[in-house]
Amino acid sequence: MSVLDTKNGRMPFRRSDTSAVSKGSSRVSWLMLALALLFLIPALGVFLTSFRTDTDISKHGIWALSGNLTVDNYMAMWNSSSVRIYMRNSFLVTIPATLISVTFGSLSGYVLAKLRPRGSGFLSIFLISGLFIPPQILLIPLFQLFNKVHLYDTLWPMIIVHSGYGISLCTLVMKNFFAHVPDELVEAALVDGASEPRILRQVVLPLSRPALGALATLQFTFIWNDFLYPLIFARSETAQTVMVGILNLGGQYSTAYGSQAALSIVASLPTVVVFIIFQKQFIAGLTTGAVKG
Amino acid sequence: MVGRSRRWAWIFLSLPLGTYTAVVAGPTLYSFYFSLTDWNILKGSHKFIGFANFTRLFHDSEFWQAFTNTAFWTVAGLIASLVFGFALAFGLSRTTWGSRLIKSMFFMPLALSLVVVGFIWFWLYRLDFGLIDMTLRHLGFPHLVQDWLANPRTALPSVIIAWTWQQISLSMIIFLAGLTAVPAELFEAAQVDGARLPAQIRHVIIPSIGPAISVVISLALINALKSFDIVYVMTQGGPYGKTETLSVMTYREAFKKYDFGYSSATAVVLFVMTILIIGGYTYISKRGSDERS
Repeated sequence: MSVLDTKNGRMPFRRSDTSAVSKGSSRVSWLMLALALLFLIPALGVFLTSFRTDTDISKHGIWALSGNLTVDNYMAMWNSSSVRIYMRNSFLVTIPATLISVTFGSLSGYVLAKLRPRGSGFLSIFLISGLFIPPQILLIPLFQLFNKVHLYDTLWPMIIVHSGYGISLCTLVMKNFFAHVPDELVEAALVDGASEPRILRQVVLPLSRPALGALATLQFTFIWNDFLYPLIFARSETAQTVMVGILNLGGQYSTAYGSQAALSIVASLPTVVVFIIFQKQFIAGLTTGAVKG
Repeated sequence: MVGRSRRWAWIFLSLPLGTYTAVVAGPTLYSFYFSLTDWNILKGSHKFIGFANFTRLFHDSEFWQAFTNTAFWTVAGLIASLVFGFALAFGLSRTTWGSRLIKSMFFMPLALSLVVVGFIWFWLYRLDFGLIDMTLRHLGFPHLVQDWLANPRTALPSVIIAWTWQQISLSMIIFLAGLTAVPAELFEAAQVDGARLPAQIRHVIIPSIGPAISVVISLALINALKSFDIVYVMTQGGPYGKTETLSVMTYREAFKKYDFGYSSATAVVLFVMTILIIGGYTYISKRGSDERS
């Protein structure tokens, strides 16, 4: 949620070469690079594990330099029908839930920032307070509900719950963003006789692309990485997402470290790729001037 | 606001508001009601019992252990986020080259799910074969070698450190955004005055990144209180409940023991705790900034 500076509704990053903090030095760069490498050492273990056989791992451990490297674990992933189902399910949940939560957040954010009907203050607090509601408090009532309507053990509960739970963050970010869109733009369009849906679609939303992009990236990452809802609302393999799938591999065979590690890496690829794209977009969004607060 | 816009306001709001009420606000209220019932699926009971669940909770040593663990996690996570997040962001802001690459390296854990983070750290903590134990033995401290996640004394700090790895990335992003937005003149003025670095940090930098600090604090608090995935993956709350948090206890009471009423009471306590801590923090920081201005 937080990568966005929610206090004043604009993206907080600027290019680091305009950094204001007193002059740096080349030595600091070397030091930070060394720290960054140290910081990433833990992740190295998963890479090493994914290229080792399970017998090799149980004999030498993963950090020993002896032993042979193999891509067997990845081949097994590729050929596994379970893994294909997990990955497909993750996409089938994440993409619609991301689109719905960002769309809903844009609608409510626009109303609360620009149309401001009576009760806007209360409605803002109501919608945004979800940020502080621990998801655990929702589980039993929702579990009951989805059982009753026979959606338990399908993908629907995850799509629905993520769409709803994401509204708080999306409303907050979009409301703050829209607050910085000049009222004159909206009023001018109104004078021209444009309807509210048209103003939103043709005037306001095109200006909001950087915010929408950054928000969609965040939502995609959160929803893709979620573990709690698939754990509660899905039981069979056909309805499980990849994050629960990683643990299932551990259950199927007693020691499946190699394939668990390989699946961890495969499962992280979508968010890592999105994240890399997101970083560039973030910086680009800041320099277009469309988001200046 | 013209009448036509008011109609559109409610049309725009209907879907987000409806979904949010059905998925977040409604279930939260239901859980408050359920917490006042004796509702056990295995016993087949379902009746109103007032505050009996809470009385039972306050006499339950498992609850107090989970409560203490959650409190410890929150405090430790908060301090680590502030100290390490700021130190890394400050270092990054003073690099002369490679800042984009180094930044990306430090951001990387944020793209990963806590399931994967838990799995990554599992390979550091493992008995004998883990990187930590191997390093200790190489450096000549064989008596320190142990099963970090199974030892009741080290299990909780170990899980918290794994979680902190990702949390530091998050707070570093926010601090970096705050630092790069500070106007250069401030630092130049401080340097002209001949202020040393610690004095610059205390008197110039920290006062000018107030919003970033409050975002970091709020996020660390919320994320610590919600911590569930990583515990589930790494220790399942063990050994002997030493790593059990309130979120894990809520899950276990409901979906392992099927004691829905009691689990709801735990969830309500977690909810109230979150609101009190976040509300209390918001109140204090607001009063602080009012006094200063």
